[in-house]
Amino acid sequence: MSVIVHGLTVKVGARTLVHDVSLDVHAGTWCTIVGPNGAGKTTLVEAIAGLRRPSSGSVSVSGQTLAEMSERDRARIIAIVPQHPVIPSGMSVYDYVALGRVAYHGLLHSASAGDKRTIDSVLDRMTLGEFRHRDVATLSGGERQRMVLGRALAQSTMVIVLDEPITGLDLRHQMDLLELLRSEVADCKLTIIATLHDLSLAGQFADRLVLLDGGEVVLDGPAREVIRSDELASRYGLTLRVIDVDGADVVVPVRDRSR
Amino acid sequence: MVVVAAFTAVALCVAGVGGLVIGPTSIGVGRVVGSLFSYVGVGHNTLSPLQSAIVWQFRAPRMVLGLLAGAMLAVAGGTYQGVFRNPLADPYLLGVAAGAGLGATFAIVNVGRGLATPAWTPLLAFVGAMTAVTITWLIGGRALRSNVATLILAGVAVSALLTSAQTFLQQQSSVGSITRVYIWLLGSLASASWSSVWLVLPYVLVCVSVCVAAARALDVMSVGEDESRSLGVPVRKVRFVVIAAASLGTAAIVSAVGLIGFVGIIVPHIVRLLVGTSYRRILPISVFFGAAFLVFADTIARTVIAPSELPLGVVTALVGAPVFVLILSLRRPVSV
Repeated sequence: MSVIVHGLTVKVGARTLVHDVSLDVHAGTWCTIVGPNGAGKTTLVEAIAGLRRPSSGSVSVSGQTLAEMSERDRARIIAIVPQHPVIPSGMSVYDYVALGRVAYHGLLHSASAGDKRTIDSVLDRMTLGEFRHRDVATLSGGERQRMVLGRALAQSTMVIVLDEPITGLDLRHQMDLLELLRSEVADCKLTIIATLHDLSLAGQFADRLVLLDGGEVVLDGPAREVIRSDELASRYGLTLRVIDVDGADVVVPVRDRSR
Repeated sequence: MVVVAAFTAVALCVAGVGGLVIGPTSIGVGRVVGSLFSYVGVGHNTLSPLQSAIVWQFRAPRMVLGLLAGAMLAVAGGTYQGVFRNPLADPYLLGVAAGAGLGATFAIVNVGRGLATPAWTPLLAFVGAMTAVTITWLIGGRALRSNVATLILAGVAVSALLTSAQTFLQQQSSVGSITRVYIWLLGSLASASWSSVWLVLPYVLVCVSVCVAAARALDVMSVGEDESRSLGVPVRKVRFVVIAAASLGTAAIVSAVGLIGFVGIIVPHIVRLLVGTSYRRILPISVFFGAAFLVFADTIARTVIAPSELPLGVVTALVGAPVFVLILSLRRPVSV
């Protein structure tokens, strides 16, 4: 299930938010999009997930164009973990994760035995079992993010798009969530397209990095190369040092002392 | 949940029987039930012809119309609250009330002769209500791509416009017409007959069914438009179908009984406070709770100062508001 983005352009009024982006993400790989604030990352991932209609260009998964599909068909192919998910207070964690199965059982029927097995398995993998009856509004940041990811996994899609999935989590929960995703990629041949602000984590977890600036792809390549590129630092307007710590690239901004 | 459902079922039976039994002419429960069974060939009818007529030609259609009106208004209000994700939504939000008011006023002022409210009134009220919702949809519907609030604002604008036209018509007419317009606007089940029941029954059955069937979609849509689309819900189609059903059913009811306030906003909230935030619970329970509530209120309206009647809208508010405040103070804050 490779994802092919071809000449994707998104305009809102006269402004072009994403301009002529082409990507080819292979099945079972992890592609992370980095870039400064306002680069168009969120717009790009929303367009890839089919939530925004592109002004031109297309997104296809395994040869099927997403824009031509019904919502229900699309929801069985690509799932999204939004940056600011709506948390419907009063709903239980189980019911929230179960929303991921709606595309299978439909709006007029209840979850089948198979749907319930999938939901239970996801709750188990996300270690949310003990929270299944809890009100979604009472969860901590880390639990909540695992729950939103659980809903996307319950969609049983081969592609998941994540927009800043670790924002607001402490270091431990950041690592845990990314490790969880990494194991889904390894175990289930899941394809991941994510945006991430933390360059060190982006470099460690992604197979490939795409640097987006001004709505256009500036760099696209293996994580190790993109991280070390001078172009990356100049797009952020910073001096960056890349330090090798036991084989992992750690990116550190260096303060300009002449200022 | 089970307790609330059982309570609602009992309340519905009590309200239904009460609607037949209670009134200025006292007729015992046993004799009314006996009369009912005699129609299906069991036992004998012990009611006099006059008592039979009172029960079966006046109280029964009135009670049944009350059930239909309460069920429809409550489920339409709950549906609007879900689809607009707005706790202040009620069935009159998109201009149904203002449109029906204008249609009815036009009928009473221009078509009516003599003292009676003309037979054209329900039809013109219905046409007015549907026209108003259609205009609202044409103005605000395109904006549904991004924001349902635009549709609500369009409804507010259309309501204001039609209400001012209605006020103008009313102000230009005779004193006699003004009284009849005023009585119509307050809403009443007093003119209920079996023919009005048969007229609204198909609308109510279809529209209530559509709204209740959409409950699961409304539950999914509580995560917002973008996310529910990504979960596989054709949000705009669902909105169109659900708003059309709730508005059509409300228009049919309003054309038959006038503008009965408060049921549509308060009943779904009471039910939500009792059974939680899932529309799969709220909507079905609201159907029966609303039906029982309105018949109960109507029984009070027609007996307290008999032989004259209190306006039904006054009673629904008078009974509903304290109950609502009581439950509100006992339970958690309202969230939609």
